[in-house]
Amino acid sequence: MEVEFSKDNFLLPDIKYEYLDHTADVQLHGWGHSLKEAFEQCGVAMFGYMTELEYVSVEQCYEIEAHGDDLEGLLFHFLDELLFLFSVEPFLVCKKLEITKFDLETFTIVCRCYGEPFELGKHPQGTEVKAITYSAMQIVQKPEDANYEVFVIIDI
Amino acid sequence: MVVRPYNDELKYLEKISDHCWRIKKGFQPNMNVEGCFYVNSRLERLMLEELKNSCRPGAVGGFLPGVKQIANVAALPGIVGRSIGLPDIHSGYGFAIGNMAAFDMDDPLSVVSPGGVGFDINCGVRLLRTNLYERDVQPVKEQLAQSLFDHIPVGVGSKGIIPMNARDLEEALEMGMDWSLREGYVWAEDKEHCEEYGRMLNADPAKVSMRAKKRGLPQLGTLGAGNHYAEIQVVDEIYDKWSASKMGIEEKGQVVVMIHSGSRGFGHQVATDALVQMEKAMKRDKIETNDRQLACARINSVEGQDYLKAMAAAANFAWVNRSSMTFLTRQAFAKMFNTTPDDLDMHVIYDVSHNIAKVENHIVDGKERKLLVHRKGSTRAFPPHHPLIPVDYQLTGQPVLVGGTMGTCSYVLTGTEQGMQETFGSTCHGAGRALSRAKSRRNIDYKEVLEKLDQIGIAIRVASPKLVMEEAPESYKDVTDVVDTCHAAGISKKCIKMRPIAVIKG
Repeated sequence: MEVEFSKDNFLLPDIKYEYLDHTADVQLHGWGHSLKEAFEQCGVAMFGYMTELEYVSVEQCYEIEAHGDDLEGLLFHFLDELLFLFSVEPFLVCKKLEITKFDLETFTIVCRCYGEPFELGKHPQGTEVKAITYSAMQIVQKPEDANYEVFVIIDI
Repeated sequence: MVVRPYNDELKYLEKISDHCWRIKKGFQPNMNVEGCFYVNSRLERLMLEELKNSCRPGAVGGFLPGVKQIANVAALPGIVGRSIGLPDIHSGYGFAIGNMAAFDMDDPLSVVSPGGVGFDINCGVRLLRTNLYERDVQPVKEQLAQSLFDHIPVGVGSKGIIPMNARDLEEALEMGMDWSLREGYVWAEDKEHCEEYGRMLNADPAKVSMRAKKRGLPQLGTLGAGNHYAEIQVVDEIYDKWSASKMGIEEKGQVVVMIHSGSRGFGHQVATDALVQMEKAMKRDKIETNDRQLACARINSVEGQDYLKAMAAAANFAWVNRSSMTFLTRQAFAKMFNTTPDDLDMHVIYDVSHNIAKVENHIVDGKERKLLVHRKGSTRAFPPHHPLIPVDYQLTGQPVLVGGTMGTCSYVLTGTEQGMQETFGSTCHGAGRALSRAKSRRNIDYKEVLEKLDQIGIAIRVASPKLVMEEAPESYKDVTDVVDTCHAAGISKKCIKMRPIAVIKG
């Protein structure tokens, strides 16, 4: 669902993600000071694999909702929703994600996704993401160090 | 996973012939049958190295070597015969890519596993012939490559140009290539030269989520990215002149077009949805597997049946997809040579599926049994006289299309009786990755790859530059090794070798 947003005081987050080695696929590694931030970073990392984010400007904002049965399931469905946002109307590539509701009791995420529709000629074509997988999925939580990390293998 | 020192692991492996290894029970827990894999000496080294690397103490991560994955599949309920690794095998999601396994349909405990089919349902290869020769195409090679690239939508975010609405999609999912035929995109003869005649009859679009349909609609008639491609190839060698002539290949230098693509986002979503459903079914039916990624459900359960019906719809989607690109290819050629596809004799030689599960009858222990055969990164290769292959190939055996990688050669093989007995009529599907994508990007130079291709006279059009490194021939096992192993082991027979002169990729 498209939602209003203001470009005033709009800040892009620091990059806290990387791509790790895997035989046929690629592993996304996102981190942050909170689990929420690590999730957001992991989502942006996926878009960064599909195109080069420096060519993407923030023109629109869509809100998505994801549910899971457990924490892994929540991460899986969160990324699956983002992939869906890219694969169908509005074909959105996101440069920034902002999780506004992160409920670990009901395993629900509501997230604002900032970016613009993917456009050939404007955005370089990266690699196509076929699916999110549970393969070697890891969610590391170290509240004492304010360090949270997630690892997800995407099928490409 | 059982972790033992490498030398202890080797005790479970035994070389039973020049090209085949046996994996004994106990290599992984609860194996119902033995496993085996086909390799030559070079591929054998790759295979054992992969195992050795995983035996290092302290190794972490979800990386399971191909041999272990074969053995885990051998532990699934209802499996018959052996869990078989083909020469191009490499580690994949649950099942290795290049793994085939058959399950007894009459055993109520038997399972179907989306991991045994893969995310790209009915990914496959189609080969079109022409009556052109290399000398006709060489002078216009660059223009022709550009024209194909302009006609066929490729790469991330590209959209299909075949007009299509939601109702058309429903019909296409149900009808497969019959839809393409009705809409005038293919010729009636094309269907004959397709597995299942381009239509799985048990397809049920009602079992497919709205999500999958939404993802599929804009992508119908697109090539995709990754290892998918369209190539203009030239016949380089004919090993079996008689069989080749049955396929309309007369002599060296003849030009053919190979299309490698699948069911796009539609199939990916069908697989994702099924995996989520099956996790639940596994808990309910208490199905134990060695690896969480081997999500499966009993064939007779609601989840199992729903998956098979949705998978069939995805298979139909893939055939319509390849058919749409066949149409676009014919248009591009006809325009370039100012004639018609008919006059260019652009017939489909054959169309194979290398990610699919099918119900087939096979002889097991002297008795005919109805099996659900999973082929993931493996191609059906039925022998001469098999009732399921078209009239034109009754005497030659089914053509098997094996695609190489960007810049390397491709092959046409034919099915054999020995393959029918040893591997449930299955053989290899391609080269199989040897390097990870990230490693390829680090170690291989973009310019070098393009220069090399240029030197050997290959025109290339690629949507994503980083794909050039990821898909460079160095990233893959040598397809010739793979094919030679299948030929030497007798599970299929070499017929034609082609080399590319133009490559179009995502």
